[in-house]
Amino acid sequence: MQTQQAPLSPRKASVEFRAVSKLYGKVTAVDQVSFTIQPGQLMTLLGPSGCGKTTTLRMIAGLEIPSAGQIFIGGEDVTLRSAADRNVSMVFQSYALFPHMSVLENVAYGPSVQGLKKSMAEDKAKHVLEMVGLKGLGERMPSELSGGQQQRVAVARALVLEPDVLLFDEPLSNLDAKLRRRVREDIRELQQRLSLTVAYVTHDQEEALAVSDEIIVMNNAKIAQRGTPHTLYSEPADLFIVDFIGDANITDVVIDKVKDQQADIQLGPLRFTLPQRGLGQGPAKLAIRPDAISLSADRGLTAGVVSKAFFLGRLWEYTIETEFGALFVTVPGRAAPFVVGSSVMLDFDVSGMVLVHDCPDKKM
Amino acid sequence: MRQAFKYFGTVAGFVMGLAAVSSPASAQQSLTLICSVQEEWCRPMAEQFEKETGIKVLMTRKSTGETYAQLKAEASNPKVDIWWGGTGDTHLQAAEDGLTEAYESPMLPQMHDWSAKIWKQSNGRTIGIYSGALGFGYNTKMLAQKNTPEPRCWADLINPKFRDEVQVADPNSSGTAYTLIATMVQMMGEDKAFDYMKALHKNINQYTKSGAAPSKATSLGETTIGIGFLHDYVATAVEGAPVKIVAPCEGTGYEIGSMSIVKGAKNLDAAKKWYDWALTPKAQSLAAPAKSYQIQSNKATPVPAQAPKMEEMKLIDFDFAKYGSSAERKRLLARWDAEVRNAAK
Amino acid sequence: MFLSHLPRSVLALLALAWASVLVLPWYWLSSFDATSLNGSLAAFWLVAHGKSVWLAGLLLPLFTLSLVLLPRLSQRQIAWLLSLGGLLALVMLLGQGFAIGLRGWDWPWVGQIVGTQVFGAIPIQQGLGFGGYAYLLAALMLMSQGLARFGLCRGDAFIVSSITLSFGLITLFVFFPVSRVLIQSVLVPDGPGGGTTWAFAAALHKLDDPSIWGLACLSSTRNCGVVWNTLFLGVVVGAGSTLLGLAFALIAGRSQWPFKPVIRLLSVLPIITPPFVIGLALILLFGRSGFFTGLLSEWFDIPRSRWIYGIYGVTLAQLLAFTPIAFMILLGVVQGISPSMEEAAQTLRADRWTTFRTITLPLLRPGLANAFLVGFVESLADFGNPLVLGGNFDVLSTKIFFAVVGSAVDESRAALLALILLVMTLAAFWVQNVWIGKKNYTTLTGKGDSGLAAILPAGVSWSCALFVIPWSLFMLCVYGIIVVGGFVVSLGRDYTPTLKHFETAFKITPSDFGMQFSGSAWNSFFATLEVAAISTPFTAALGLLIGYLLSRQKFSGKSVFEFCTMLSFAIPGTVIGVSYILAFNVPPFEMTGTGMILVICFVFRNIPVGIRATMATLSQVDPSLDEASLTLGASSLTTLRRVILPLLRPAIITALVYSFVRTMTSVSAIIFLVSAKYNMATTYIVGRVEAGEYGVAIAYSCVLIALMLAMIILIQLFVGDRALGRRKAS
Repeated sequence: MQTQQAPLSPRKASVEFRAVSKLYGKVTAVDQVSFTIQPGQLMTLLGPSGCGKTTTLRMIAGLEIPSAGQIFIGGEDVTLRSAADRNVSMVFQSYALFPHMSVLENVAYGPSVQGLKKSMAEDKAKHVLEMVGLKGLGERMPSELSGGQQQRVAVARALVLEPDVLLFDEPLSNLDAKLRRRVREDIRELQQRLSLTVAYVTHDQEEALAVSDEIIVMNNAKIAQRGTPHTLYSEPADLFIVDFIGDANITDVVIDKVKDQQADIQLGPLRFTLPQRGLGQGPAKLAIRPDAISLSADRGLTAGVVSKAFFLGRLWEYTIETEFGALFVTVPGRAAPFVVGSSVMLDFDVSGMVLVHDCPDKKM
Repeated sequence: MRQAFKYFGTVAGFVMGLAAVSSPASAQQSLTLICSVQEEWCRPMAEQFEKETGIKVLMTRKSTGETYAQLKAEASNPKVDIWWGGTGDTHLQAAEDGLTEAYESPMLPQMHDWSAKIWKQSNGRTIGIYSGALGFGYNTKMLAQKNTPEPRCWADLINPKFRDEVQVADPNSSGTAYTLIATMVQMMGEDKAFDYMKALHKNINQYTKSGAAPSKATSLGETTIGIGFLHDYVATAVEGAPVKIVAPCEGTGYEIGSMSIVKGAKNLDAAKKWYDWALTPKAQSLAAPAKSYQIQSNKATPVPAQAPKMEEMKLIDFDFAKYGSSAERKRLLARWDAEVRNAAK
Repeated sequence: MFLSHLPRSVLALLALAWASVLVLPWYWLSSFDATSLNGSLAAFWLVAHGKSVWLAGLLLPLFTLSLVLLPRLSQRQIAWLLSLGGLLALVMLLGQGFAIGLRGWDWPWVGQIVGTQVFGAIPIQQGLGFGGYAYLLAALMLMSQGLARFGLCRGDAFIVSSITLSFGLITLFVFFPVSRVLIQSVLVPDGPGGGTTWAFAAALHKLDDPSIWGLACLSSTRNCGVVWNTLFLGVVVGAGSTLLGLAFALIAGRSQWPFKPVIRLLSVLPIITPPFVIGLALILLFGRSGFFTGLLSEWFDIPRSRWIYGIYGVTLAQLLAFTPIAFMILLGVVQGISPSMEEAAQTLRADRWTTFRTITLPLLRPGLANAFLVGFVESLADFGNPLVLGGNFDVLSTKIFFAVVGSAVDESRAALLALILLVMTLAAFWVQNVWIGKKNYTTLTGKGDSGLAAILPAGVSWSCALFVIPWSLFMLCVYGIIVVGGFVVSLGRDYTPTLKHFETAFKITPSDFGMQFSGSAWNSFFATLEVAAISTPFTAALGLLIGYLLSRQKFSGKSVFEFCTMLSFAIPGTVIGVSYILAFNVPPFEMTGTGMILVICFVFRNIPVGIRATMATLSQVDPSLDEASLTLGASSLTTLRRVILPLLRPAIITALVYSFVRTMTSVSAIIFLVSAKYNMATTYIVGRVEAGEYGVAIAYSCVLIALMLAMIILIQLFVGDRALGRRKAS
């Protein structure tokens, strides 16, 4: 993407939800959700399918009207305002490029329906197309472009109106793995350059961690946790978050003693001291990140047997049988390999271990 | 710009068209007429009347049944002024239902007796304008192939040699066929009449929907014999079809084509003008050139050469009051349905 | 700025509402009272002159609505004012309209409450005029504006207005007349004194009749009940036309035959052939004195018979008429089947025949079900062919017709029979839904499909040919005799060539005032053209709008709404005709005798096809396209115009062609609605057939066929294809 003087200067606006609910018949899609997206911030809505994240996004766009609660954009109550009357643009999962219009007509559509003259609308569209690196492709039909190009047309079409808020609905899901990484970097770069307020929906946690200023994780129509990518990773609120953000081995432990907000725990034969995180004495859950375990042939706290081994280039993925259950372990790809069936010693890094609350509802 | 013109043109076109279809009849003195005879006869009548009186005639041709259904549906707000032509007993039914208006025309003394009779029976609500005798016609070519003697009487039609060779309309849909039932009942007495029709049923190839259809079928040779009003058969013969008409030897019934003014007519004066005019010999002589060979109701109207001669036939004294009433009609049709139509062949 | 809190649309609607009572003539101006003061004044001035004083009540809702002009109202308050004011206006207008009729109180109980003090002993009024309709429209639209402000339909006023308007139109022009005629079926006159009573028992008694339900034909030579006849005919014609249509579609879509264009042409002809003509042609070919019957009897001594009159003839005529529709439905499906699926089957070692049997045929299932359904329903509704060829074979549609216009008139019997027909049609729709089920038959996706369609197995190809070739020849004969019939003196009797028939119908004589159209057919020809030209775009527009609402919008009462739109399609035309007279011959909605009622009748009778075509096409269009347009700031109207419509071109063509052709060729519904000024081509043709002037009838039909062909080509050119920029297969 070319770095060039941006022709656009979108107004920055905040988005605020106040106890918003959406019901379809008897099904609650979004339940009493409140949050604020600060101006210029990229906020990701993350969660498994059916958690209500897309409905939330569509309510920002005005494509759904809440059953209860209020929505503010830039401090203005837009709850009952139709999509056309909100200064919000959206990039759709399927791109939703108009198949009967050329690329240029697609991008110029927004300005022209706002009443701009055709020539001016097209000038504006050409600028934005250039900005997303599609100079000279304006006369093509969408079906004549590659997937990545189509995606950029969709972004250009959404940007050209200089929206208060830009919405992305799983924008990368139709791209291959390599392209995904590049496009998500482009999106992040564009957002920061233009300081856009962005709401971004995805079910891919890696994508969410990479692009977001902040993440809202949703589960069962409610907000499960909200925070920066790092907070979510290091201080997950509950088991659901642990499982959803990054991989983790969940094991049963017993908290022996709590003192100065530190808990002494027992994991099989091993003992650790970890931040208490509000938990009391008794059985608890412990999350161990796969990269917090290191393997060696002879030195470690406990022994295990390699039952599975996969080489992914960057990483080795092992499953190790121990006396307190099977553990999933990742090791840098440069390390010397262990064959299946061999015995290994395990060591633990407490910074990659966290005590967690059980899920409020046991639906996991 | 061109686009704008295109849109404008389209919209303007619609608006004008809409205005055209939604505007009701003009305010000039006019007469809404339903005509239940053949179109060729309707048209010169309407044109001639317009020429003579300057009253605009809005004429629609509709069958008797359609007209009756329309008058009934429109009863609370009639749109028709006068109903001219069509089987008399439907006119009588309309009179019975109070759909039509009584009127005594100054032309009444010039009418044939049958015309005045129906006027009296209906308490002045309808008057006979033409009459046609019931009978049958046969296709001479087909008959020659069959090698059967010429049928001359009703009794000849139940000859087993004519099995599947006779066609008549269904009385449930056609007034012509109902006239046949009424005629038989009056000539033979009810039970004997039904015996006759059951016998005839074996020879019937088809009960058509329309009363005039058997005459067309006869002229095309689709059936050898067709029962109906004789003037329909005359018309096909005049056109060159190999059809011969028969006035049955035992005697026969007849229809009286009628005319009624609709109750609540919006142009009552014009309707009365038409009523009087349509009974003049001049108006009635427009029938023959239109290939309609019925006997006209004015005694002074010349009888065309081709027309069946009524005075040479044995005409029964048709009781229109009794057989035109709804109750009697329903009863006879129900009996016909039960005993004749559904009888085994 | 003053009033800036209100959009221009609300201001314009308020202006319309006030204009409707201050400026526009309130009552319908008809010829007989154009001179009276009553007819030409707006409601306000009528009241000011002391006439129709009850109209003063109409002003109250207008004042309520106008309160929104006050400054500093919240959006919520405006919403309440508009919704309640609009509703009040509707109630007032309809209430007074139905309560006071041409001859006094239609609702005497209201009269008793009001007494005779204010309105006089017998208040009378006529049907609504421009003022009345404008008031109705403004009230409905203002109410929609109010409802949209409560967040209905995402707060989109255009969508809410479209829904209420369509709902209003369907209620007024489908539900209202149909319910009138159904009520009629259980109302029994109380004798000559007038007045009626409800009599369900009597109505039920009428149902118990061997001529309706009898099964005598199974055990004797007598006729079966008309319900069984109709059902049997419908099933045979539905199955037959589906089978023939499939054979034609497979040949046209999957073979390398050289005659494919001929098949295409043959498939269009019957659709644009006016009724009666096919039946007539069959009589002339196969009747007892028919052309082929004559040949057979001369050459092979096969005795002449009347087999054509009865179920065989009707079946043949209906197959001729409805196979093309099945063909068009099936061709679309045959071409839509993804070649990759067939290729997948072949890579799994299935031979051609197995592929055809296990993949192609099952994928055709929804197409087959649809084709059968359409054939079945069309057969049930057809009335021209049984009339001409039925002989002693009765079906419901003719029974209904003669129960209305026959010599033994019985409207309640007609309504009951119509009800039976309606139930049969709806049952067919239901069965079809069950049969297709919830399986996924989507084969058209956004992804390109580069596979090659499987070639038909030889056996299938030959058996198709076995149907296609004789049937094509047969159709050529039928249309041959139709063309010949227009140019000879008298079909069946005298084959001297002549132009007499065209002259009778379409003579143009030059006179001092330019050309004079003196032929007898010109009148009805121009009237038909005018009505068709006006009703066609309205049908298409309303059909597209309703189809769009049904497939893209969520609102309560949607399924009832959808059902009502199908109602006018499923009810026999004769009944619709009578119901229109019953409903629209009296105030408040009085419009019999105008061309308007014909236009309206056609619009609402033909609308289901536009709706269905739109829904089918929209189901292939990704809904996020509409949403993308909305988020780009386009209103729903702009979205509809610039995004949806261009993608709906195939549906638009279907709707336009169908409604034009149907307007030109339908008979039964309009036979009661035609008037002197607006006589229609088909009723004229029926008249010619009745009078035995087959030549003129056929000549006229030839002209209509040519006109419709030209019109179809024009529509195709004008609307055009949707350009999606996809590479065309070479």
